[in-house]
Amino acid sequence: MKFVDEYRSPDLARALSAEIAELVEPGEIVRIMEVCGGHTHTIYRHGLEDLLPPEVELVHGPGCPVCVIPMGRVDDAIALSEQPGVTLATFGDMLRVPGGRGSLLEAKARGADVRMVYSPLDALALARKESDRHVVFFAIGFETTAPATAVTLLRARAEGVENFGVFCNHVTIEPPLRAILETPGLRVDGFVGPGHVSTVIGTDAYRFIPEEFVRPVVVSAFEPVDILQSIAMLLRQRREGRCEVENQYTRVVRPEGNARALAAIDETMELRDAFEWRGLGMLPRSALKLRPTFAVWDAEVRYPLPGVQIADPKACQCGEVLTGQIKPWECGVFGTACTPERPLGTCMVSSEGACAAFYAYGRLRRPVSERILA
Amino acid sequence: MTLEPDRCITCSDEAVAASVVVIDGVEATVAVDGHQEHVAIDLVPDAQPGDVLLCHAGIALERLEAAR
Repeated sequence: MKFVDEYRSPDLARALSAEIAELVEPGEIVRIMEVCGGHTHTIYRHGLEDLLPPEVELVHGPGCPVCVIPMGRVDDAIALSEQPGVTLATFGDMLRVPGGRGSLLEAKARGADVRMVYSPLDALALARKESDRHVVFFAIGFETTAPATAVTLLRARAEGVENFGVFCNHVTIEPPLRAILETPGLRVDGFVGPGHVSTVIGTDAYRFIPEEFVRPVVVSAFEPVDILQSIAMLLRQRREGRCEVENQYTRVVRPEGNARALAAIDETMELRDAFEWRGLGMLPRSALKLRPTFAVWDAEVRYPLPGVQIADPKACQCGEVLTGQIKPWECGVFGTACTPERPLGTCMVSSEGACAAFYAYGRLRRPVSERILA
Repeated sequence: MTLEPDRCITCSDEAVAASVVVIDGVEATVAVDGHQEHVAIDLVPDAQPGDVLLCHAGIALERLEAAR
């Protein structure tokens, strides 16, 4: 398949593997965080760690949007789904995320009208079709997904569809990266930057990382050769004494991003004062809510929500996995109390979650690595 | 979009490349992995048949370079 096969070439992967080995000094440890859950998935699926020298350690970042949604917001969605006349529509993964009162799938089993959609536009189509229902889209995702919600809201307004609403949980990528970079004792030497978020926000959005935190960033595509090349680019910066934002995903990402997508987000949404993140706690100005001009479509304005913060189960170490402090298999309940069939934590729910990816493509106990925190 | 069953196709930082077959206003019919889907092209309004678009959650986010 075009734009896929050429980036899975074994010959290219072998050549990059050899190049990476030449770019590190024997015995040193270089820790590279892949921010995006899509990268984590590719790394495990294609066994990329086996192509890296022992000097390069990959640590997983906070870029799985399902994984960072706190339990309290899931309970809010469940409360919405139980409102008379409400149909709650959301992406498949969100149906299985456990909140304090179970999952949306369990709410559906109790009689709530919960539907799975592939796009917010599908939820809008549902509202057009079922005019006696109020269809609320449970919106999650980083800047990759926010444009789809924004376009849907703009269409709902243009068409005057008022039995449609959005429960907005869109988050932004910069605040969690700052939170990780500001962690005392952090030992991450560079970042493989998210690819598809960057099609929207552009590579310039990461300049604060080299400028304020003196760590290099390479925005990367998602195929195995892409990720290996990005790792090589990071190591080459290090070798040459450079520290900057580079773009490996030049076939689609531009420095300035997609102006139309950013304008659609800006027209429909604004930053919240603060938002709770699983593993990172409350982060200021890290998530989006609908603008007052879209109050008619804002489920948080229209319905009372519990809005309660719920602590994660004590045994669950998603927070440490999401911030790269431990590897999935180091969690005490990995593969035992927490499995994809019965997930305890969010990282085991989404296939982009580090735990689910490792469970699917390895599941071998690996030696506990040196912590990234000194 | 539907592509590979083991990938997170519905929510996350995942998107797929799809070739435009037909344009109809702000919608495009795209071909991906042997089947056809409909995507919104509000954010890539000048898309043309033959272009390859990066699609996510029912909308096209960007055009791939080789097709620009």
